Amino acid sequence: MDIQEERVGDTYVVIAKGRLDSSSSAAFAERVGGLLNDANPRLLVDFAEVDFVTSAGLRAVLLLLKKAKAVNGAFALCSLQAPVREILDISGFTPMLTIHAARPDGLAALKA
Amino acid sequence: MPLEMEVLATPEAIDALMDRIMGFMQDERVDQRTAHNVALIVEELVVNLGSHGSCRDRPAKIKLSVEPGSVNGEIRDSGPAFDLTKVADPDINLPVEDRPIGGLGLFLVRKLTTSLQYSQLNGENLTSFAVTRRLGVDVKD
Repeated sequence: MDIQEERVGDTYVVIAKGRLDSSSSAAFAERVGGLLNDANPRLLVDFAEVDFVTSAGLRAVLLLLKKAKAVNGAFALCSLQAPVREILDISGFTPMLTIHAARPDGLAALKA
Repeated sequence: MPLEMEVLATPEAIDALMDRIMGFMQDERVDQRTAHNVALIVEELVVNLGSHGSCRDRPAKIKLSVEPGSVNGEIRDSGPAFDLTKVADPDINLPVEDRPIGGLGLFLVRKLTTSLQYSQLNGENLTSFAVTRRLGVDVKD
């Protein structure tokens, strides 16, 4: 998995590409978790180019979600591909997450 | 022609396995959703064998075949006996704070397969599954 970060105002945008699975999810959780160390972090993870998520990926997302809650941060995903969205739905993750259709929506919501 | 592979449950081998499975699914014109779910099922099963079985040093044998209505898979391994059909589901309605980390792999396998069977014979475990395909859709749908 390839991970890039951008800063848009006070929001970190993480652009992930590839598979979020047993090979990549620990590094993903660690790298993205590091962005939640600021005070009042705002984090948007763009999943437009993530085409594959396994339970290891779900574990990473849950870790990030728990950390964001613990530090009172804002954490959202955007641009989920349909098969990835299905996995989040089946696992009961969707109600716990803030999911935006596209990056501009996520950025607008996190700026507010 | 079915896909047959032997794989150790190491990150590199699993990565290569996923590439191979996705390529095979595309060659066989399986729709994206089915291809994704088949690859996920295989990865979850192999990763599970790596942590609880013994497939870090003894490879698992994987066979996938694409039929008109479904993709069928078999995984044979020589690790400890483990009937994945008998594991309780996690509670997926818990709030964030109470959701435990982990435990979703076999749950996803059970949810995504149309059929799932386990048997053990002569020290070999056989896990077989089927995933119903969507027909008449483009591979990219």
